[in-house]
Amino acid sequence: MSNTQARVPLKARPVSFSWDGTPLHWVPGDPLTTHTINVLHLLLPAGERWFVRVYQQALPLIRDDRLREDVIGFIGQEAVHSQAHDEVLPHLRELGLDPTPYTAQVDWFFEKLLGDRTLPPGRPRRWWLLERVALIAAIEHYTAFLGNWVLNAGELDRRGADPTMLDLLRWHGAEEVEHRSVAFELFTHLDGSYRRRVRTWATAFTALVFLWQRGTRFFLANDPTLTDGKATFKDFHDRGRQGLLPGTGDMLRSIPRYLSRAYHPSQEGDTEQALAYLAASPAATAAERRAA
Amino acid sequence: MPAPRTAALALGATAAALLTRRALRRRVSASPLWPLPALDPPVSGQSRPRPARLLLTAHETIADGVVRLRLEGPGLPRWEPGAHVDLVLPSGLVRQYSLCGDPADTSAYTLAARLVADGRGGSREVHEQLTEGMELEVRGPRNRFPLVAAPAYVFVAGGIGITPLLPMLRALPDGTEWRLLYGGRTRASMPFLDEVAQLAGDRLTVVAEDEDGRPDLAALFAGTAEGTAVYCCGPEGLMAAVEQALPEGATLHLERFAPGTAAGPDAAFEVELRRSGRTVTVPAGSSVLAAVRRELPGTAYSCEQGFCGTCQQRVLEGEVEHRDELLTDAERHDSMLICVSRARGDRLVLDM
Repeated sequence: MSNTQARVPLKARPVSFSWDGTPLHWVPGDPLTTHTINVLHLLLPAGERWFVRVYQQALPLIRDDRLREDVIGFIGQEAVHSQAHDEVLPHLRELGLDPTPYTAQVDWFFEKLLGDRTLPPGRPRRWWLLERVALIAAIEHYTAFLGNWVLNAGELDRRGADPTMLDLLRWHGAEEVEHRSVAFELFTHLDGSYRRRVRTWATAFTALVFLWQRGTRFFLANDPTLTDGKATFKDFHDRGRQGLLPGTGDMLRSIPRYLSRAYHPSQEGDTEQALAYLAASPAATAAERRAA
Repeated sequence: MPAPRTAALALGATAAALLTRRALRRRVSASPLWPLPALDPPVSGQSRPRPARLLLTAHETIADGVVRLRLEGPGLPRWEPGAHVDLVLPSGLVRQYSLCGDPADTSAYTLAARLVADGRGGSREVHEQLTEGMELEVRGPRNRFPLVAAPAYVFVAGGIGITPLLPMLRALPDGTEWRLLYGGRTRASMPFLDEVAQLAGDRLTVVAEDEDGRPDLAALFAGTAEGTAVYCCGPEGLMAAVEQALPEGATLHLERFAPGTAAGPDAAFEVELRRSGRTVTVPAGSSVLAAVRRELPGTAYSCEQGFCGTCQQRVLEGEVEHRDELLTDAERHDSMLICVSRARGDRLVLDM
């Protein structure tokens, strides 16, 4: 497996955030940007818990010690991501925006629809596991993309976005960049079939777009401070041009990269930048002291 | 030639599409989150109590080397006697302290901390760095030392070990048979001595080491009734002595000061893995996880420090000493994190 950048041993960091001072619209005066990014808190708690459960089942199938170590580090990081985003949800409820109707659906989506199914052991069970491992590899392409984006999203700082929320997003983004190769390498190690890669990419991309636009609409419609919360694709596209959200063009260009036969995640993002952020992040440095 | 049949079909298709769109829009506006079902009960955003940021409103010395802290905040969770909280210090260190205030007070927590001269720095920070007006993160409360119903009670406190017992003494119903042995190095170093004396009256034996030497546990346990619950919190030596002297028919409840540190004496114990039909021995100083992995190499784990939750396993039999920071009381009831938690007795049975 070619990896041009130096290998970093992966380890989970026991971060903890205090949300008491974070306002509802943590990008001041911009509910659309706030809520588009807030959708992460709706999807990730259930989604990353699901990653962990799928990988727990994949672990015994790994025949490569280095990859096994990476997957073990990956699992812990994902588990802590899930917990950290989960803790934002009660805060949103306190601010008058109860996310439960939506998160309960996301829970169903990952726990039931994509959960463990009663399948006969052998080929059907292995097929369902490989399908989900491939789905995770496709999703991780986007988490690395978003992580790289948020590490470089200086416009959010210039607009005075809440520092605690930015630290959560950038700590998470940096760990996604740090471990971006693991999911894809696991998929290649266990299967790597190109047809499966394309098929699961299509499923993951469709599901992400569907869940994301729906989550943004859900937040805008239920935000107690907005009377007419609506969003159009144009609003989203404009935010992308201003650097407040990922640009539409950048997102479209990331599609052929994943579908290219020469794809490897190490070509995306910058490990050194991610590690530099983790070395300075208030949450990650506090976690470092706590673990010591 | 636009055949009338093609035109009719196109018209029909357009009408059907419009009708479908109208029906869908109606359905969605009636129930915006249709058509995904919801998980009942939901998992995300529900389970774990959030850490609170509390205001330190009192920081006072109440005995030699002991400070009492009062942390205030609105709408705190209620707790039962024996409960403790995790206090996150400004340096990031996390230390556990028993609550010793009023359980019904939802506006403040009271706790007391002794300065440990050769400790790992947490108690020194509590004594020297904390000042009134600071905001501190508090997690919990949790209770792994609950007061169970028993015909009679014997309490043994060593120094600062009085803190979890104090709310118990206050909560015991009138007419309960109980006594308390309260030991310490000197009388001046023993916190809450006046209040304890008032609560206990002639049920109290105070043993100050500089005046009275070691406590006489045999005398304390003489004539203990069958089924008596013995609660002990104090230094390791005291707890080991109580364990030794425990009369037959009595149940022992211990609260260690610093779970998760190397201070506790790790004893070896056996773990039966019921589904795989194997038994492994966990030596002192090693983890359940390490022993299990030798038999089942595919066992999932990650952080090995008790915060990520990956290695959670179901416990079928045996009492667990939980040393993680993650699981809720409900989860602790039937599961454990095998990377840090250990057996209280000499055997555990896991569902793996």
